[in-house]
Amino acid sequence: MASVHESLYFNPMMTNGVVHANVFGIKDWVTPYKISVLALLYEMTTSKPIALQERRRLNKLILPLQQGPDLTLDQFLKTVEECCPQTAYAVKLRLHEMADGELKDMEYFFATLPTPFSAIDSEAYKTSVVGLFMRHMLLAYNKLSFSQVYKLYKALQQYYHSHYSQPGDVQVGLAADDSDMDLTSTEDNVGERMEKEELDTRPEVVDRGPLSQKQAEYFLARQAYLLKNDENKALKPSALQDELNNMLKFNPDFAEAHYLSYLNSMRVQDIFISTHSLLHYFDRLILSGSEGKSNGDEGYGRSLRYAALNLAALHCRFGHYQQADLALQEAIRIAQESNDHVCLQHCLSWLYTLEQMKGSDSSVLTEDSVKMAAHFCLPYLVSLGIQSLVQQGAVQGKTAHELMDALKDTDILHWKHSLSELIDISLAQTTSIWRMYGKSTMAQQQAQLLLNMNSLEQVNFGVQQNNTEAFAVALCHLAELHAEQGLYGAVSEVLKHLKEQFPPHTQHAKLWMLCDLKIQFDRAMNDGKYHLAEPHVTAIAALNKTEGLYRKAQVLKALNRTTEAYSILQRLQLYCEKTKYTEMIIRVMLVTAELHWESSGFATALPLLLQALALARQHHLQALASETILHLAFTQLMLGVPEQALGVLHEAMEPILAHGAVMDKGRALLLAARCQMAMAGTRSNGQRHAALGLAVQSLGEAAAYFSMLDCKERLRDVHYLQARLHHTLGQTPQRNKCAMLFRLLDQELQAPGAAVPLL
Amino acid sequence: MAALCSEFGDLVQIKKQLISVISLCKERGLVHSVKWASELAFALDPLPKNELPPSATFTEEDAQDMDALGLAKSYFDLKEYDRAAYFLRGCRSQKAYFLYMYSRYLSGEKKKDDETVDSLGPLEKGQVRNEALRELRVELSKKHSAGELDGFTLYLYGVVLRKLDLLKEAVDVFVEATHALPLHWGAWLELCNLITNIDMLKSLSLPDCWIRDFFIAHMYTELQMIKEALQKYQSLIESGFSKSTYIVSQIAVAYHNIRDIDQALALFNELREQDPFRIENMDTFSNLLYVRSMKPELSYLAHNLVGIDKYRVETCCVIGNYYSLRSQHEKAALYFQRALKLNPRCLGAWTLMGHEYMEMKNTSAAIQAYRHAIEVNKRDYRAWYGLGQTYEILKMPFYCLYYYRKAHQLRPNDSRMLVALGESYEKLSQHVEAKKCYWRAYTVGDVERMALLKLAKLHEQLNESDDAAQCYIIYIQDIFSCGEQLEHAEVSTALRYLGQYYFKNKLYEEASLCAQRCCDYNDAREEGKALLRQISQVRDHMEASNTTPVRRVSPLDLSSFSP
Repeated sequence: MASVHESLYFNPMMTNGVVHANVFGIKDWVTPYKISVLALLYEMTTSKPIALQERRRLNKLILPLQQGPDLTLDQFLKTVEECCPQTAYAVKLRLHEMADGELKDMEYFFATLPTPFSAIDSEAYKTSVVGLFMRHMLLAYNKLSFSQVYKLYKALQQYYHSHYSQPGDVQVGLAADDSDMDLTSTEDNVGERMEKEELDTRPEVVDRGPLSQKQAEYFLARQAYLLKNDENKALKPSALQDELNNMLKFNPDFAEAHYLSYLNSMRVQDIFISTHSLLHYFDRLILSGSEGKSNGDEGYGRSLRYAALNLAALHCRFGHYQQADLALQEAIRIAQESNDHVCLQHCLSWLYTLEQMKGSDSSVLTEDSVKMAAHFCLPYLVSLGIQSLVQQGAVQGKTAHELMDALKDTDILHWKHSLSELIDISLAQTTSIWRMYGKSTMAQQQAQLLLNMNSLEQVNFGVQQNNTEAFAVALCHLAELHAEQGLYGAVSEVLKHLKEQFPPHTQHAKLWMLCDLKIQFDRAMNDGKYHLAEPHVTAIAALNKTEGLYRKAQVLKALNRTTEAYSILQRLQLYCEKTKYTEMIIRVMLVTAELHWESSGFATALPLLLQALALARQHHLQALASETILHLAFTQLMLGVPEQALGVLHEAMEPILAHGAVMDKGRALLLAARCQMAMAGTRSNGQRHAALGLAVQSLGEAAAYFSMLDCKERLRDVHYLQARLHHTLGQTPQRNKCAMLFRLLDQELQAPGAAVPLL
Repeated sequence: MAALCSEFGDLVQIKKQLISVISLCKERGLVHSVKWASELAFALDPLPKNELPPSATFTEEDAQDMDALGLAKSYFDLKEYDRAAYFLRGCRSQKAYFLYMYSRYLSGEKKKDDETVDSLGPLEKGQVRNEALRELRVELSKKHSAGELDGFTLYLYGVVLRKLDLLKEAVDVFVEATHALPLHWGAWLELCNLITNIDMLKSLSLPDCWIRDFFIAHMYTELQMIKEALQKYQSLIESGFSKSTYIVSQIAVAYHNIRDIDQALALFNELREQDPFRIENMDTFSNLLYVRSMKPELSYLAHNLVGIDKYRVETCCVIGNYYSLRSQHEKAALYFQRALKLNPRCLGAWTLMGHEYMEMKNTSAAIQAYRHAIEVNKRDYRAWYGLGQTYEILKMPFYCLYYYRKAHQLRPNDSRMLVALGESYEKLSQHVEAKKCYWRAYTVGDVERMALLKLAKLHEQLNESDDAAQCYIIYIQDIFSCGEQLEHAEVSTALRYLGQYYFKNKLYEEASLCAQRCCDYNDAREEGKALLRQISQVRDHMEASNTTPVRRVSPLDLSSFSP
């Protein structure tokens, strides 16, 4: 049965499809707001003398006013008033003339507008921004039919008068209703109140009209740019989605909005809407690019390939590797069939990224990609590939100069092609590499360089590019470097900034979360507050499994649960050897060696430590190498060869003092003092005094470092040794002072059960 | 059933009610409801003169308003709504009040439609609203809370609310309207458009009236619960409405929905005999004729409908189908376009146009058409399926998975989607998923009888001979049990494989049976004969060396005996 009211179901707005929005080629049309802007422009061009300052401010206002969404008269006048009250008054007057006058006043206004074709000297010349806008408006106005002109005039009147009504009055359109209502009803008051209440409850935003195509394009471009570069300045996900839905309701053919909706739902990790929007976008895109050409470079065949590629990227982002793989294969196949090398290269670069994410070795693929991309002159892909290679190379122990050379070469490429995004990545990568090699100063310098660099990209919408992964990485490194130096105030500053820049729901937030947890964990461990460290382990494990296991082993070791710790370490080592995570292997070996110490198995620890040292040296990991040497020296000391130990220690002392963390510096000096003491026992009396004096000096320095970190257990040991030395040297006052300090700390630290770190 | 019969026992009473409601609706200009009720009344036996219901009682107010009402109604019939409203503004009677509000509403709608053509900018189209709606809502809600609305005005209030997208309130008001005046079919129909699922339907408290059964049946059809709907309609027929063209057409549409083509065709033919100038539902009829490739019938129908009214959506769809069947796809697309011009929200036409573009290999236009269909109705599974097919043709099996999945979600028990999904998975070498899809397609009742064959072939490919054989066996049983001759049946393939399979497993009895059956088919005859020869050779060999155990002769050795 057909519908009761045919017209009920006839809803031209949603879908129509017979009349497309662009059929008329009209991108803009006259609205009351546009008339106000025109009035403003008119006032400005008919140049009454305006102060230079004010004129400049007005000029800056023009573009946003032209491109932005329609404002209410209130908002509009306010913005203009802030720049130049006198012009605002003039504009208002002009609008008043029209709105309170008759239709002919509006017609007169359009007739007197300076036509861009005649005014050669003025700012409104036909090719200027202002001129173009005026031409658009004049054209649109002239195209209006009889009834449309009247409608526009009515709208203008309403627009102007709504300015005077109180902000509490909701509906503009109701002004005309009163006259109708007295036809039937007498109790207007009740009705009106009720009506207001009822209509207020409707969530729909009535005062925001549809955007013209120009305005919509501007809006989309702006939001997309913000999403890419500084997410915090973009609209909130839900607000943006509302805005997009609104836009799509009025213009379902606006495909770009679907793409933005895809990006937006990626922000909140919504796979359903993002998939849906992405596919919808490409379905639409295929339409717009379909004219004439079937499968060529420009035709819809091209968008098909990229559609599949984008789908692969989407699954990649959500970690659906198998799906991503399938989609990628499809993209590759279609690209191959149509000989699209550029697309193929993009596919290839995704392919090695995917392989990397899956955790398999993809260096061969990456090399191929770099070569091919260079052949097809795709600088972006080339340097992206090289950067990826550098990353893999660094992990696999390629020599430093090779890596640095590669990075330098890509940097040249970046600057040549102004690839500012990649410059950022490159700097962040250099920071990480220096950090891995244990050169904290260099790392710090690179990080600062990135943070202080002016971006190459022109600053749009007042946003500098600082919301990317590169910045997050650099900032995290900076936080960790500061933590190493015991500057916890600075660390919390950096972390606070990170939290603001990358709110917890965003993509790169995990980076700083992990960094924050690691720092807190290290602090708790150093302070000997193992119960505080324990909860962090779970949190770390949630973000990074390997790291979590390693930390768990550390805590277990500290709590004297040796067997459990040992089994975890064994498992971890096997896993890391499989994934070639060298840094972690060395660290695991060091902890294992420490476990051997606990059971006095110093001799068994030696080969392990030597192996670790060899690995560290092979991969140029200076920080870890120094740490290993410290361990080695301690083992030797315990095995009763202090001379050897001191000799080995001297090798590490220099890099540690130059680049190491404060903790390491203190530990190294403490160990040196112990060795010196041990050696002094065998010496003759005079030499002994000198040696002990040296030891006292080292201890003093160590104490200074430990107190910087507030590391009480170690400080207690130092004070004890100091007291003993002073006693031996017969310096009673110093001895008493140290003994008192020792006693104070000892009373404070009455936590039994936990192991005191040996080194 | 018994209860139902007793309820409908008094057909005379029903007829009386119908007659009175017809006159009520007629006075108020509710033409569609009048049509429905009259159709139903026509299906019942005529009443004797003394049984005719008395005309409605006349109040003092009615008498006062009679002249104004008569004048306004004449203007209303001439579509001069503002004029009608003007002359009704002072009237007090309920009837006049309804007509007054209704003409204001229709005037707003008419203006809105006119406005659309003539708005300021193309984008402002979305903004064109029926400006009268708000005022109407305010006035009606006032009267509503005062309890002054009768069934008709409640209905109008509901329509206004629905137009303002206040769907929840609208549902409540429509339910109230049905309670106030159960016989007004328009209110039921509006309610039907607002109910989205069965739970919602169950939660409503509806008036206990015979018309409710019509509503429930209609609702079941809408919610794709075809079996229940058919049952309902059957009982309605049995209780005395057997002559109603409305019910016949509804049943036919229901059969169409479950793809019971023969039943549906029979009913439509019956319907055409009873009501030869009917245009409604004829597009569905043409779909059926199309599926059965009944060219002459379709051609006759198309010419007939053009003779009745060529500017109807249904007519255009029928002609489109006709051209499509004659493989004149450009012309077909043209007619679907015309249908869309007549009613842009005509869902079927978008999808059909998509199919036409697919036939013309114009994939991008097809995608466009399907997307439009989805925009009109997100739950249109055919459009999702069409999109999937389009991408499949573009050789993007992974990409089309998404669309097939969507279609499958909407029709979980439709084997076509499942087979399509399975094929895509097979292309992606996701054999496990593919097998699952095919098996599921078979279990939900395979329409095209392809799922098992595909499953068997997949097993064959993967060298899972036991599973493959199993599938072929079920396939053959299936084909022979259904009895009808299928175009693409591949019984010979199945038999050939089974023959070889039994032979390899040394089940010579079965193997020879299969081989003999193979000989019935042209394409497998030679192979069947060859197999028979092999079997007899092996048997001879076995009899010759009776003492040797069978097991020593491996299948591979046997193959060397073949000529």
